[in-house]
Amino acid sequence: MATPIIMPRQGQSVETCIITEWHKKKGDSVEIGDVLFSYETDKASFEEEAKAAGTLLEIFYEADEEVPVLTTVAVIGEVGEDISEFLPSTTVTEETTPPPAAESTEIADTPIEPTPASQGQPRTSSEIRISPRARNLAKKHKLDYRYATPTGPEGRIIERDIQSLLEAGPKVTSAAMADYFASDQPLTGTGLGGRITTSDLRQPLPPANTVPTQTSSVPDYVDVKLPNIRKVIAKAMHHSLSSTAQLTLNTSFDATEILAYRQKLKAKQNELGLENITLNDLIIYATARTLLKHNELNAHYLDDTLRVFNNVHMGVAVDTERGLMVPTVFYADLLSLNQLAENTKRAIAACQAGSINPDELQGGTFTITNLGTLGIESFTPVLNPPQTGILGVCNIEYKIKLVDGEYVHYPAMGLSLTFDHRALDGAPAARFLKDLVTNLENFSVLLAM
Amino acid sequence: MIYDLIVLGGGPAGYLAAERAGKAGLNTLLIEKASLGGVCLNEGCIPSKTLLHSAKIYDYARFSSAYGVTAENVVFNHKKVIARKNKVVKILVSGVRNKMRASNVTVVEGHGHILGRDANGIQVEVENKVYQGHRLLIATGSTPLLPPIPGVEEGLKSGFVLTSREILDLPEVPDSLVIIGGGVIGLEMASYYNSAGSKVTIIEMQDQIAGEVDTQIANILMKNYQKNGITFQLNSKVTEILSDGVTYEYNGKRETIKADKVLMSVGRKPAVNGFGLENLGVELEHGAIKTDEYGKTNIPEVYAAGDVNGKYLLAHAAYREAEVCVNNMLGNKDLMRYHAVPSVIYTNPEVASIGETEQSAAAKGIEFEKANLSMRYSGRYLAENEGGDGICKVLVDKKYRHIIGVHMIGNYASEIIYGASILMETEMKIDDIQEIVFPHPTVSEILREAIFEI
Repeated sequence: MATPIIMPRQGQSVETCIITEWHKKKGDSVEIGDVLFSYETDKASFEEEAKAAGTLLEIFYEADEEVPVLTTVAVIGEVGEDISEFLPSTTVTEETTPPPAAESTEIADTPIEPTPASQGQPRTSSEIRISPRARNLAKKHKLDYRYATPTGPEGRIIERDIQSLLEAGPKVTSAAMADYFASDQPLTGTGLGGRITTSDLRQPLPPANTVPTQTSSVPDYVDVKLPNIRKVIAKAMHHSLSSTAQLTLNTSFDATEILAYRQKLKAKQNELGLENITLNDLIIYATARTLLKHNELNAHYLDDTLRVFNNVHMGVAVDTERGLMVPTVFYADLLSLNQLAENTKRAIAACQAGSINPDELQGGTFTITNLGTLGIESFTPVLNPPQTGILGVCNIEYKIKLVDGEYVHYPAMGLSLTFDHRALDGAPAARFLKDLVTNLENFSVLLAM
Repeated sequence: MIYDLIVLGGGPAGYLAAERAGKAGLNTLLIEKASLGGVCLNEGCIPSKTLLHSAKIYDYARFSSAYGVTAENVVFNHKKVIARKNKVVKILVSGVRNKMRASNVTVVEGHGHILGRDANGIQVEVENKVYQGHRLLIATGSTPLLPPIPGVEEGLKSGFVLTSREILDLPEVPDSLVIIGGGVIGLEMASYYNSAGSKVTIIEMQDQIAGEVDTQIANILMKNYQKNGITFQLNSKVTEILSDGVTYEYNGKRETIKADKVLMSVGRKPAVNGFGLENLGVELEHGAIKTDEYGKTNIPEVYAAGDVNGKYLLAHAAYREAEVCVNNMLGNKDLMRYHAVPSVIYTNPEVASIGETEQSAAAKGIEFEKANLSMRYSGRYLAENEGGDGICKVLVDKKYRHIIGVHMIGNYASEIIYGASILMETEMKIDDIQEIVFPHPTVSEILREAIFEI
C-alpha cells in the first residue's frame, strides 16, 4: 500500500519548510532509512529519511519550494499503485503553472546521441540537470537549454538560467559545450557575440588588458537571492535597532587569572574527564552568575512591563555558514562549569550542522557574542529584543598598570555591553559590568560562591 | 566645436568606422589626404580586381577551344581596361562619399596632423585649421615596403621601378616585367600582365610563393602560372636594380635578368610617420601602432584600426577592427578575433583560405584530422574547368570536432570561403554541419563533400 511522505513539523513555531534538495528521484527504489530530501526552516536544516520501503512513485514539491508542515510531499509504494488520494488539493505558493505532480530534478529527455567520434568527451548533455520549470520555460521559447549556464544547486539549470539565456542568447559554441559544462573554471567568452569558444577552454584566463575597459556585456553586479535565514536576520536586526534605545559601554578586565585557570583545566582535562572548557565558557559562567544580582539585564522588556527572570537562559551567538544563529543554553546559572561547556558545545555544533531544534533558538534572557577570536577590540553588539542586554566579548590586548610604583603589563580582555536604556539607566549597567569584571578577575572566588 | 570622434584616414578602416560611429549618433569627422576609400578602393583591391576580370575574359576568349569555342582576332586593349578601372573606382569613391553624407559624417580633405591633447580632447590640424575631438581613431593605413636595395630609389625616380600603385596605371603593357616578391600583390599583377602580353618573371626569396598559404596549394598555383608562361625564380635574393634589369643571387651565384619594368611587391609597412603620432605618445611595436584586442592604443580614447596596426593588412580585417573600435567607444564591449579571417588571392584559379594550415596547426601542437579532396568531386567544377586541378582541404580539431582551417584553390573559392568563416566563428561541430543543405550543382559542395570525408 502506498505511503505518503509528510513534511515534518520542526518545533511549535514552524509553519512551513523549504525543500532544499531531493536525494531520490521519481522512480528510484527506496529502503527504510534512505535520505529522501533535505529541507530547512528559517533557522535550521534537516534531512528526511524514508520510513517505508518501495518505489518513489511521485514527488509533489520540487527543490526550492516552500511547503506547509504536515503536507504530503511525495508517495512511496509499488509501481502502478493508485496515488490519487495523496494528490495535494492546493499548493501554497501562487502558481500559474499547474500540477504539483511535476517531477523533481530529472535527467534531460533529449540527449544528443554521442557519435563515435565524440565519444570520450567528459560529459554529454544527458548529464545536464534541469528543473522542470526551467525546462518548460525553455520549451515555451524554443530554446536549447543545453546552452544555459547552470547556477542552481549542484550545477542544475534553473528558471533564471533560462531567463538569462532568453535575454543574452546562447553563450557557448557547440564545439565548446561539452567541456564547458565539465569545467568549473570561470570562463570569459571571446567568440562571436561573446560566446565561449574552444580557445577560451584552452585559455581559461582572458588576456590581460593593457587599458582598463568598461565592459557592458559582463554585468557590474549579480543579484543574489537572499536565503531565508538572511531575511530573518535582517528583519530581526532592523527591528532591534528601530524599536529599542540601545547603547554600548566598553571596558576591559585583567585576564591573568582566567587564563591561568584555563591552562590548569586544560592540563587536567583528560585526567578529570572534563570537557574542553574555553575562555568563552568561563565568561558565560561568570556572566550568568553576575546577572543574578543585576536582574534588569536578565529580563524581557515588554510594552508596559519588565519581565524579570529568576534563572539565566543564555543566548550564545554562533557564526555558521548560513549566517548568525543564537541557540539558548537554558539554566546557565545552575550548571556547573563542565555542564555549561558541554551544553554550549553541543548547541554550537548543532547550529553549525544545521540540525538544531528550532525550539532551542528561542527563550534566551541575555546573550553573549564573541568576536575576540577575530581580533576585535570593542564593538556594539545588537540587542536581541525583548532581551535588555547583550555582552560582546573582545580580544586580549596587553595593557600597563602601576603596581607598587612599578609599571607591569597584563593581558586585558575587552567587554562591550549593549543595554536597552528603556529598561535601565547607564549607572546600573555600568555596575553590572564592574561586578562582572571583579568576578572575572577573581574567578576562583566566584567558583567558591 | 568638439567632435565625438576624429578619424584619421578614409580607407576601409576609417570610412567604415566613421559610418558606424555617425550612424550611432557620434559627431564624427573624417580626415582623408587623398581620396576616400584609401588604398583598397583607389589603388588596391578594387582596381586590381577590375583588371583581372578583363584578363580573365580575354583568356576565356583565346583559350576556350577545349570547351568547343574558338574566337579569332581577339584584341586586348590595355588602355580601355585602365579607363574602365578608373570608372569603377570613381563610382565606388562617390558611393563612399554618399555613405558619409548619409551617416552625418563631416569629411575634410587634406593632410591631418596631430598636435596633441588637452582637457578639451585631441587636436588635429588640417590645412591650417585645428579640429578638436574627444576620441581619435588612427586609420592611416600602409605604404609599399621598399627594401634598401641599390638602385631602387633611382629606379623609382626614372619610372623603371614601380610599386603596386603605379603598376595599376601603366599606359602601356611592358614587353617584359620582373616582379620582386611572390606574395598576393605580385601574383595578381603577374596574372594580369601575363595575360596582357608581358613576359613575366617572379623573383621570390622564400622556397614557396604566396606567403603563408598551404604549401600544396601554393605549388598547384605555381604550376598553373608556369603553364601560362610565367617564370619563377624561388630562393632568390635581389641584390641590385640596374637601369635595364635586376641582379639576384641564387645558390650563391649572381644572375642578371633584363626587364622593361620592375614591380617591387615585397610587402607593405604601416604608415606611422609624418602625422604627429609622437605628439600623443602612442606606443609603437615593430613599426606598427600597438593595439589591444579592443583596438585601443596605450593612450586613452585613442584607437587604431586597419593596416596601421600591422596585424593583418587586409581590408576585411580592417572593417571588423574598425567596428570593434567603434563598439568599444560606444561602451559595447567587443573584441577582435583573427582566427577566422579569410584570405583570398584573386588569381585564375582563385585561392582562398582561412584558419590554420597543416603547417601552422602542427607548429601549435593542435591535433587535427584532415580531408583533402580534388575539386573534381564537384560536378559544377568539372563542367566548368577543363583540366582543372583544384583541391579543397578541411582541417578539423580532433578533440572538439570543429573546423579549424579551410584551404581551396579553384574558381569561386573567393565566394565560398565566407561559409567557412561562419562555420569557424560559430564552432559548429562536424555532425551539425553535415545537416546543412548546399545548393547543387555548385563548387561550394566540395566543402560538404570534404566534411563527410572526415
